[in-house]
Amino acid sequence: MSNALAVEGVGVRRQRAVKLPSAASMIRAGLIVLVCIGFLALWQLAANRQWLNGQLFGSPLGIYNAAYSGLTQGTLVSDTLITLYETLAGLAIGSLLGTGLGLLLWFLPAVSGVAEGFSILLNSIPKIALGPLIIIWFGSGAGSKIWLAAISTFAVAMISSTAAAREIDRDLLNLFRSFKAERSMIFRKLILPSALPWIFSTLRVNIGFALIGSVVGEYIASQAGLGHEVFVAGSLFDLNTVWLGVIILTLMATLLTFVVQLIEERIVSWKPKR
Amino acid sequence: MRPGRSRIWHDECLQLGMQQASLNSEYNSTPWSPGAAAAARLRVSDLSHAFVSADGVSTKIFDRLNFHVAHGEIMSIVGRSGAGKTTLFNLISGLLSPQHGSVTVGPRDDGTSGRIAYMLQKDLLLPWRSVLQNALLGIELHRNVRPEDVERAKDMLARYGLSGVANAHPHALSGGMRQRVALTRTLLVDPTLVLLDEPFSALDYETRLMLEDDVMALRDSFGTSIVLVTHDIEEAIAMSDRVVVLGGRPACIEQDIPIELTLAEHRNAVTSREAPEFRQYHARIWAALRAPVAHQGRGVAS
Repeated sequence: MSNALAVEGVGVRRQRAVKLPSAASMIRAGLIVLVCIGFLALWQLAANRQWLNGQLFGSPLGIYNAAYSGLTQGTLVSDTLITLYETLAGLAIGSLLGTGLGLLLWFLPAVSGVAEGFSILLNSIPKIALGPLIIIWFGSGAGSKIWLAAISTFAVAMISSTAAAREIDRDLLNLFRSFKAERSMIFRKLILPSALPWIFSTLRVNIGFALIGSVVGEYIASQAGLGHEVFVAGSLFDLNTVWLGVIILTLMATLLTFVVQLIEERIVSWKPKR
Repeated sequence: MRPGRSRIWHDECLQLGMQQASLNSEYNSTPWSPGAAAAARLRVSDLSHAFVSADGVSTKIFDRLNFHVAHGEIMSIVGRSGAGKTTLFNLISGLLSPQHGSVTVGPRDDGTSGRIAYMLQKDLLLPWRSVLQNALLGIELHRNVRPEDVERAKDMLARYGLSGVANAHPHALSGGMRQRVALTRTLLVDPTLVLLDEPFSALDYETRLMLEDDVMALRDSFGTSIVLVTHDIEEAIAMSDRVVVLGGRPACIEQDIPIELTLAEHRNAVTSREAPEFRQYHARIWAALRAPVAHQGRGVAS
């Protein structure tokens, strides 16, 4: 690492151009907003005219009222933050452990195949089915949701990073070996940077899995969180609050994906844009 | 090992000792001399290697191969696909361990140990590193990069017309520029012997001629010895002091052809091709490559 820093120190700087959105992308975004507004207006009209059963389908105005009530009572923010915390913690633990273990298996090719087999087996288990076990082991607090989210993301991260380390171009490995590089050096200077695009694409996929883990954990046993709110509202036929929860979860997933993309663009800035 | 059969094979091969190599062209910037034999940059002695297939069949690639490369000599190896050229490079560079025999790298002029650098067919630049960082990779894998290494890298990049892109990433470069960065990376480790495995095969003709000149200039400037594997007979003749035809199974040196060209001016990639002897060498090497494969065995080497 020190060597790379030394090289950076002599003036290897990345030049970043300020990118303005193109006219085509602005038109596309405008169209999406227009379609959404049109859909919501039509939905509200259908609810008002009773073309749709408001009890079964809710309405945009009802969702707005549920949001307003949740915000004034303070439960909406606290539930959102709890679910966000559980999801992020589970995502971090599962992805770090899975990615770390998967990459380190490169040092042990003999063990790698067996461990990968186990991770495929673990991945094929419906993680949600483990929910009751996790709740019994870790209680009904945030811990059980974090571990459920971590288990949901671990196997995918491990399978992906094992493959990333294994799929390294043989010629690149030969190049490093021809320079008499030690294995630790090959790992740091070749395996790790090569695997970065894989790690980030897995992280994006795992956002969804982590959310499923934490929300389903909240469904099973909890006192707070968006999953808990959605579950309780659903059992009370409060469809507007259910919709509100779903919308916030969708926004949360979108925001997290956007943040991961931003980090990826900074760290994997060398990747040519398509 | 079956000694009887082995002997027959070897009778069909040239055994390249000091006398054979002394046929070397006097056009070298460092002409061949008896003293140079002792100062060989590379000595391959009794090299034997075999691959064992999944069904347990052993395919002998080399059987007691012998040759050496002198100080400041450019030697090209030509041969059919599967003749074992790349395997030979892998054995010389240490990527493969020979099952028998030895590969010895000669010392530098000051007595310190020599070093081999291997430039593979693809440029193999790391996309996450800048051109300068890629150029310094070989040093970085060996020891800490010092400020003088960075200066040397910058100088070398400037010599190859790459100073303007030193901070760019490889995807922004043309094929020729990428190959020059790879050449810079190879040379910065200060090798005494450079192995070039068809490094210019994917390049356009003009870029190829420029890079051929760059490689020849290496020998002239630093006395670096170069072994080039190529399918291009013209390239082999234009650049080399010796062209070796590798063939047969197990592979052996079927012909060792010293290249002596009559040139009106300094030798470079273009003037070499204009030499009156150029076509004759081409015909001779082509005939050697088309000759029936001797001592054919099983399997194909990579």
